[in-house]
Amino acid sequence: MSATQRKDIQPLGDLAETLGRLLRNTVFRLSIVGSLLFGVSLLVAQLIVYDTIVSSEERRVEQGLTEELTELELLFAQGGEAALRAAQQNGLLTEATPQSVAQAIFDQGAQQTLQRVITLRDLSPDVYSMFVFKDESATGKMVTDEIEALKINAPTLTQYDTTDLLREEVIATVEATDVADGDPVFEERRVLAIGHAVFQNDQKVGVIFVGRDVENIRRTGERMRRAMTTSSLIAVFLGVLSSIFVARRFARRVDSLNKLATDVQAGHLDRRAPRNYSEDEMDRLAEHLNGMLDHIDRLMQAMRYAGDSVAHDLRTPLTRLRTRLETAAVEAGDKPEADVLFAAAGDADQLLSTFDSVLRIARLEAGERRELLKPLDPKTVLDDLAELYEPACEDAGLDFSYDIRDGLTIMADRGLLSQAVSNLLENAIKYAGGGGGSKIRLTARKGARGRVSIEIADDGPGIPVFDRERVRERFVRLDKSRTLPGSGLGLALVDAVADLHQAELVMDDGLGNEAIQDGEVDHEGRPGLSVRLVFPRIKATRQSDDSKSKKQGELAD
Amino acid sequence: MRILVVEDDEVAAEYVKKGLSEAGHVVDLATDGDLALEMASAADYDALILDRMLPKKDGLAVLGELREAGNATPVLILSALGETDHKVEGLRAGGDDYLAKPYSFTELLARVEAIGRRSDPTAAVTKLKVGDLEMDLLARTVHREGQKILLQPREFRLLECLMRNAGRVVTRTMLLEKVWDYHFDPQTNVIDVHISRLRGKIDKEFETPLLHTVRGAGYRLQPA
Repeated sequence: MSATQRKDIQPLGDLAETLGRLLRNTVFRLSIVGSLLFGVSLLVAQLIVYDTIVSSEERRVEQGLTEELTELELLFAQGGEAALRAAQQNGLLTEATPQSVAQAIFDQGAQQTLQRVITLRDLSPDVYSMFVFKDESATGKMVTDEIEALKINAPTLTQYDTTDLLREEVIATVEATDVADGDPVFEERRVLAIGHAVFQNDQKVGVIFVGRDVENIRRTGERMRRAMTTSSLIAVFLGVLSSIFVARRFARRVDSLNKLATDVQAGHLDRRAPRNYSEDEMDRLAEHLNGMLDHIDRLMQAMRYAGDSVAHDLRTPLTRLRTRLETAAVEAGDKPEADVLFAAAGDADQLLSTFDSVLRIARLEAGERRELLKPLDPKTVLDDLAELYEPACEDAGLDFSYDIRDGLTIMADRGLLSQAVSNLLENAIKYAGGGGGSKIRLTARKGARGRVSIEIADDGPGIPVFDRERVRERFVRLDKSRTLPGSGLGLALVDAVADLHQAELVMDDGLGNEAIQDGEVDHEGRPGLSVRLVFPRIKATRQSDDSKSKKQGELAD
Repeated sequence: MRILVVEDDEVAAEYVKKGLSEAGHVVDLATDGDLALEMASAADYDALILDRMLPKKDGLAVLGELREAGNATPVLILSALGETDHKVEGLRAGGDDYLAKPYSFTELLARVEAIGRRSDPTAAVTKLKVGDLEMDLLARTVHREGQKILLQPREFRLLECLMRNAGRVVTRTMLLEKVWDYHFDPQTNVIDVHISRLRGKIDKEFETPLLHTVRGAGYRLQPA
């Protein structure tokens, strides 16, 4: 049960996520608006067709009925008048004849006239029915047999108290015409009836109705309305489907460009956007991006070439200088000049190593080595470094301890990581050792949110909080350290390496507080320094579960 | 050894030639890529010192053509391009070692001698011996005067590197590259400290020191 429930929830969540992604897609939103507009215009077009076919037909019927009604009213009146006149001529009607009898004569005449007219008229099979309701007391009396046969549910007369045109829809039960044999089948057909109350001397004497079978028109109308609804729904549905299709297609192309941007940021300057040569705007965007990347690539190469040329041009004479000094030093043997010459050769080395560091930092900052990063267990690198530096620490009178956890993984380049940590260890040895410190600790452990933190901490003089940003810059040396050898490039290089690895370089107070807690009293003003390299959580490789890696990627960011 | 130096900077080339000659090697000079290829193909050299940036033909191109032609002469690539990836590039192209400018001459000498053709292929060696110091590469043991010396794994590798180059100078940078596989120069004396520890184990209790410091260059393991 719970398993099926979970199964039910999962696709729902996915659906919601997919929907959310779709709604964020610009093309999807645009094409949804487009398809909705299309649906609306389709509806308008259909309404126009409906109006010309159904509504106008109905209007035509109504108009015909109105004309007939007028005609019938006229005939009714004329028939009545004629009957009255005939009665007067025959002497049947005298002055003394009561009104009711006269009225009856009038009515009869009118009725007969109408009946004659109706019978004389060749009525079409869809039945133009004419009927006259008479007498207020009656619930509705059919005038003609034909109308009688229709079995119309007639409305009561009393409700018509107006001189306006009456408009009534009635149901006529007629024998179906298309039934071959057997018992007669009746069907109910809608009849549109137009009527007029007949007044005499401000007294309502009756109502004349003219009706016509509108069942066929109505049915056509209903069929059309159904068709219109269905086709509009289908149009909107297809519109949504095609929006999804277009959006996904478009999203794929945009994604490919986004991936390109990520790759280029990661240092893969040789990547180019895929093109389909359709010359559409996406293709043109890809073309322009590629052009831009070509340009950047050329600039990078030019920069590299310039750097290399400068390096070459500078190093060649410096090498000569160094070789001459060295040769002279060796030739000097045990003479005191040898010391000066060796020192001069050492200066040349210093000059070149500074120059090297500057070039190296520039290259790291260009990010071109980012593609060399690969998953790496920092333990292998740090153990080696710990082993390399432990004796040097002891030699400098520092207590070196390290705690490097197993099973950590970071994206790193072994050489660069080694160099960065080596720089930090050397700084610790140099400044803590020279500043009265007694401890250096190297740790590597898991940080928050899957990050990995490599920390080098000492209990030396430390770096004041306000200087911690400044010391990352090139050639910046704090006053206190000016007396010690160094170029001011060590931390700048570490910072560049950290940047390349998308790791954070965090500086903090070091082991000073710990030492004070442990009862060491001489730690006034020596908070120590802790430098941490915090590596981001490693993103799972593409081969593994794709969706999982995406989620992890989101978490890591 | 007979060494071909390919270097377009004639002053530097002369210095290298002079230094190598003084160290007892026979040296030829080539100043451009075409000439270098011609000379290297014509004569049988024990080692080649090849600058990367050369007129007419790039150093790596020369190296590639040599290797393609089946010439296996050990090659030390020399270049102003000191970045690690350049080194890797050079070594992939078939170089045996890579040295960035500026180099100290002793460094160059030490490296050339280290890669230079040896009478016996290193692969077959299972025992190394310098004076009364013996190393068994299979059993991973070291004895001196029949006395067993206990070494840490890294100290063993350090000593192995020194013993393989016995009698020749091994520089700090070489040790850092070959023993620790680091391609940067630490500013502090890390290597010296390791050497002094090793010295404490192999030399301290014996009369004649084997491990000598060569001033301005590095170390040499040599009996007496």
